[in-house]
Amino acid sequence: MFQNFRLTMAWLHTWFGLVLGFVLMVVFFFGALSVFDREIDRWAIPQSRFEPQPMPSFDKILQPVFQSMQPSKESIEQARSRVNGPMADSFPVVKRWGAYTTHRDPVLGLFAGYELPNAKDPEDGVWGNRTIDPRTGASLPDDHLKIGSQFFYPLHYSLNFHWKNLGYWIVGFAALMMLVALVSGVVMHRKIFRELFTFRPRKHTQRSALDLHNLTGVVALPFHFIFAFSGLVIFGGVYFPVTHTQLEPLHELHEKHEAFETGLPHDRAGVAGPLASVDAMVAEAQRRWAAQGMAGDVGFLAVQHVGDANAYVSVYRAGTDRIALVGNGIHFKAATGEVLREDPPLTPVASVNTFLTGLHLQHFRHWLLRWLYVLGGLSGCVCIATGFIFFVEKRKRQHAKQGVSGARWVDGFAVATVTGMVIAALSMLIANRLLPADLPARGDWEQYLFWGAWVLAFAHGLWRTAPVASARMAPAWAEQCWAIAVLGVAAVLLNWVTTGDHLLRTIGSGYWPVAGVDLAILASAVLAVLAARKLKRRAQGQLSAPGVDDSAAAHASLEAARA
Amino acid sequence: MPDALLLAAALAANVIGLGWLALSMDVHWEQVRGAEPLRRATVRTLRWLGAAGLAAALALCLAVDHASMASLVWFMALAGAALAVAFTLSWRPRALGVLVAWVPGARA
Amino acid sequence: MATSAISRWHIVSRIAAGVLGGYAFTWGFIALGIGLLFSAQMEFHDAEALGYILGFIVFLVAFLWAFSAASLRRVWLVLAGGGALMTGAAWLVQRAIL
Repeated sequence: MFQNFRLTMAWLHTWFGLVLGFVLMVVFFFGALSVFDREIDRWAIPQSRFEPQPMPSFDKILQPVFQSMQPSKESIEQARSRVNGPMADSFPVVKRWGAYTTHRDPVLGLFAGYELPNAKDPEDGVWGNRTIDPRTGASLPDDHLKIGSQFFYPLHYSLNFHWKNLGYWIVGFAALMMLVALVSGVVMHRKIFRELFTFRPRKHTQRSALDLHNLTGVVALPFHFIFAFSGLVIFGGVYFPVTHTQLEPLHELHEKHEAFETGLPHDRAGVAGPLASVDAMVAEAQRRWAAQGMAGDVGFLAVQHVGDANAYVSVYRAGTDRIALVGNGIHFKAATGEVLREDPPLTPVASVNTFLTGLHLQHFRHWLLRWLYVLGGLSGCVCIATGFIFFVEKRKRQHAKQGVSGARWVDGFAVATVTGMVIAALSMLIANRLLPADLPARGDWEQYLFWGAWVLAFAHGLWRTAPVASARMAPAWAEQCWAIAVLGVAAVLLNWVTTGDHLLRTIGSGYWPVAGVDLAILASAVLAVLAARKLKRRAQGQLSAPGVDDSAAAHASLEAARA
Repeated sequence: MPDALLLAAALAANVIGLGWLALSMDVHWEQVRGAEPLRRATVRTLRWLGAAGLAAALALCLAVDHASMASLVWFMALAGAALAVAFTLSWRPRALGVLVAWVPGARA
Repeated sequence: MATSAISRWHIVSRIAAGVLGGYAFTWGFIALGIGLLFSAQMEFHDAEALGYILGFIVFLVAFLWAFSAASLRRVWLVLAGGGALMTGAAWLVQRAIL
């Protein structure tokens, strides 16, 4: 587009980085929180604060729960436009039962799929969910929102914006632009090796911000690239639904072949059939894995064509000790318990794919690696935030002179996204502790309060970045940092007051999920205070030399103020 | 040796290895040893040492986990170590002096 | 950056070429890729997975090329035209298999 390649890459990096940076900020931050999504769930749902449990007995615990489940109201509502004629009253034909657990789950999530009568697409269905205590089979209330796994986690891949799947598309496009920003950033960065360890915090804001932007971008470059890329591959079917549209006939052909080759029936027989002891099938699966030198826990249990003569049970091994999610599936004929199929070893392509997916979705047990992932995610956030700061610093003087407000608005949106987002998350945790335990639709209220807090932070951010229009520093940043500190301490105190779980108790008894969340919140509060104080010092440095145009002179006056 | 200890050692090896690599660069050498000249032989030695440190870290990671997990741990630890080295150079550069204390200097 | 020397229309067209042209090209690449791999006896889900893995790299390269190529006309021709050609070829491959 321009005279040379480097200039074009710089243009792309600046403008696409700026616009999509706001989305990527949210993706990286809530993605980093999602590493510990289940631990955040424990914090948010005190009844689930017990030790992680293995998959319980199907015959004794799970089967009665499955039999009592029904499609959820939301699922039925969403399916209204997908049926011909009126919506059915009952959904007697159960397509699938499933239970999924990892080494970090105290409570167990169950799902059931039901045939949708009169559906436009014969393969369509509706879904039901239940969360139970696997020790007893008792169900947890549906409206206790799992803030980590049911809100922060979907927020990072869909912005919780489900209308026409637009949220997925926005995040997907942002991910592709992340890849573009990484490649263009490398092209732009002339001294990438020489400046690998360079960070000069005492220089003027524009230089420090750029140093930090380059540092966090480059040292975690493989992480940033692989996470954006693997995220795209995971949702490839959403962005390029080739095999459900243009190549649907090939897909159908394959399904028939596969059913024939594997012996796992694709369709129901239409004849009722019994369900033999699933516990015996699980025991057999574990015996077979151990015999192959890979003894393991059950990660996923599913029954297909429930109640039919063609029903089969699939038992998958949890990927606790490997990168791949679940695997080594063994499939049993539901009526008799005989083994129909053991999944063969993965093909090279499947190995690469499960490695990429498993790397992103992290069901492995490795606490150091998880914390390193959080570090990577937060580095990404710092990279994006310093990108905004650099953009504003570089332009605010010239915009002030020209009477243009571009830099001022970017700074406003930046505050709203960076600190505003943290304020929203902390507000949601506080709401979680303050709302009455038996409030109906409690989870919905928590979500409204999250978005409401963010809107307020947004408004404050836009209002209090006005000084940027005259090339001064915005007080919004420091003010929101103080808000984060206050909210963080409040959240931890409320946890203590409302549940009795204070840090001495949780650390003392080694209950790290809750202790970890409290400690992380307090650490954020400390960082916020440090940042607020540093920002105040910089602001005072600027005020002592008013109307200064020259950045070098401003730098000199900063040094003088500090001396 | 317990895994936690091996992983801690791997992290340390990454930090030390990257520290050596950083100090093989003029700008960072200067932060630690001032006006003292950086000889070419020293640069070569520091780069070899740095590579050895990183290799040792990888070996330690492999002692704890199987190959695919270990390489991920090592890669991510490298990023963390690079940040640690960079921040040390920004705020307490002299602390890295211990890594090159054995290099004879003008004072020797 | 001298964006004033480049018309707004040109910028919009480049972006459209990168996004929409890139999407069309990638769709064609994935569809043809899956068709050809499957017809070469690769397992269907493997073909799909490989299609996506290569496809997103193709999209990245196409997008970068859309902006760095000198001739915008050539960009549209290759991306939109190439995408249409590959999509058409994929139809033919599917018909041959079925």
